[in-house]
Amino acid sequence: MGFVACVTALVFGEGATMTQSPTEGADPFDLAVPYALHAISDDERGAVENTLATAGLSAADDFYDEVRAIRETMAAVSAASAEEPPADLRGRLLTAVAADNVRALPSPRRRTAWMSAAAALAVGLVAAGIGISLWPPAQEPSTAQQVFSASDVHTISGAIPAGGNATVVFSRNSNAGVLVMTDVPPPAPGTVYQMWLVSDSGATSAGTMDAKAVAPSTTAVLTNIGNSTKLRFTVESGSGADQPTGQVIAEFALI
Amino acid sequence: MGDVVIQLLDRPATLPVNGTHNERRWPVTSADLGALLRRVAQRDSEAFAALYDATRSRVYGMVTRVLRDRGYSEETTQDVYLQVWRTAESYDPASGSALAWLLTLAHRRAVDRVRAEQAATQRDSRYGAATVERPADHVSDAVISDEERRRVVECLDGLTDLQRECIELAYYQGMTYVQVSERLSANLATVKSRMRDGLRGLRNCLGVR
Repeated sequence: MGFVACVTALVFGEGATMTQSPTEGADPFDLAVPYALHAISDDERGAVENTLATAGLSAADDFYDEVRAIRETMAAVSAASAEEPPADLRGRLLTAVAADNVRALPSPRRRTAWMSAAAALAVGLVAAGIGISLWPPAQEPSTAQQVFSASDVHTISGAIPAGGNATVVFSRNSNAGVLVMTDVPPPAPGTVYQMWLVSDSGATSAGTMDAKAVAPSTTAVLTNIGNSTKLRFTVESGSGADQPTGQVIAEFALI
Repeated sequence: MGDVVIQLLDRPATLPVNGTHNERRWPVTSADLGALLRRVAQRDSEAFAALYDATRSRVYGMVTRVLRDRGYSEETTQDVYLQVWRTAESYDPASGSALAWLLTLAHRRAVDRVRAEQAATQRDSRYGAATVERPADHVSDAVISDEERRRVVECLDGLTDLQRECIELAYYQGMTYVQVSERLSANLATVKSRMRDGLRGLRNCLGVR
């Protein structure tokens, strides 16, 4: 039996006190279990912490050691309630993290990687490292942040037949998506990969990628996804085309 | 510190777990999780993926027990891991195991969410059932062995009904101990005493020091 348990058992044995006021005369040690289990109001938690801050190191250590042991116990107990989360949560999280890493490590070469008008805004933001930051302090939510927090967020992942993988996280409500491509082989010299948002009314360019842009991974914001039903990847010559004319290398249904 | 986790999770990596190999999901020791968390703090996305795979079923399962709603639980689990990504550097090994840090963070978010939802709407009476439910049948988990799960269930079964009820209401239904006392029409000292004795029993049974 630890110090806290001894004290509380002596002072607050079952039925020993009838007070219904949570803080009146309360020994903070008596609240170690509710504190550790988050079963305490914010006000009372603050009061406990304040009391401990002035209670001396030894007393506070005893309290927090008890809290630590309780939390270790509940961590062990979590084995009993374990349950697999939905599979697409993994792709969504890894995409969010990849998008955040782009912000953390802006690469100068990405500045020129995305040439099309449709992607120009996204490109500028990615290169400047401001648009794709997921958790900027006291800023407007970024497009990516809006997508990841949207109630209608969807995740689509797939292999690209030529090699590599793509994950698209998108939200119709946010009218935007985030694309992450990894390990995609570079396009042949003199060509680029071009992305197209395809709807009933045709295909709109969503940006191009040259050899530098695809290695080793690429993250891009897709804006104005509108009613698009597919994200299509083609190989186009030069710096890209107005309409998809080249070979289709991959296509993902945005459903 | 954190010995129970090592004890529960450590096993030779050559042993198949439940007969199913999944190379991405080896049982991970407490020390491994701490090392992964340190790599996550340095924005290592592979370490983040490994940490997620090693802990996702524990986190999602606990969150689901608290929130009882698939959509809320998925959102909250996503928030938890994004918070891990963002704040991994705040993990201090001296304050406990990485697993306890993660589940404490997850439980805090789940409780905040359930209280927010409760404030917005009176919950359905089915949420009031005060029992520690266990999944009737669970799929084999590559991270958590049947043996480990069975051991924890036995420890939960070792509590008295009154102790289990208090822990259920406080930990899994997000009630404060004051709310628990109101729900059970028991005085505060009684509720605190049951919670304390229940936790002590679990802790001893699981060998947490």
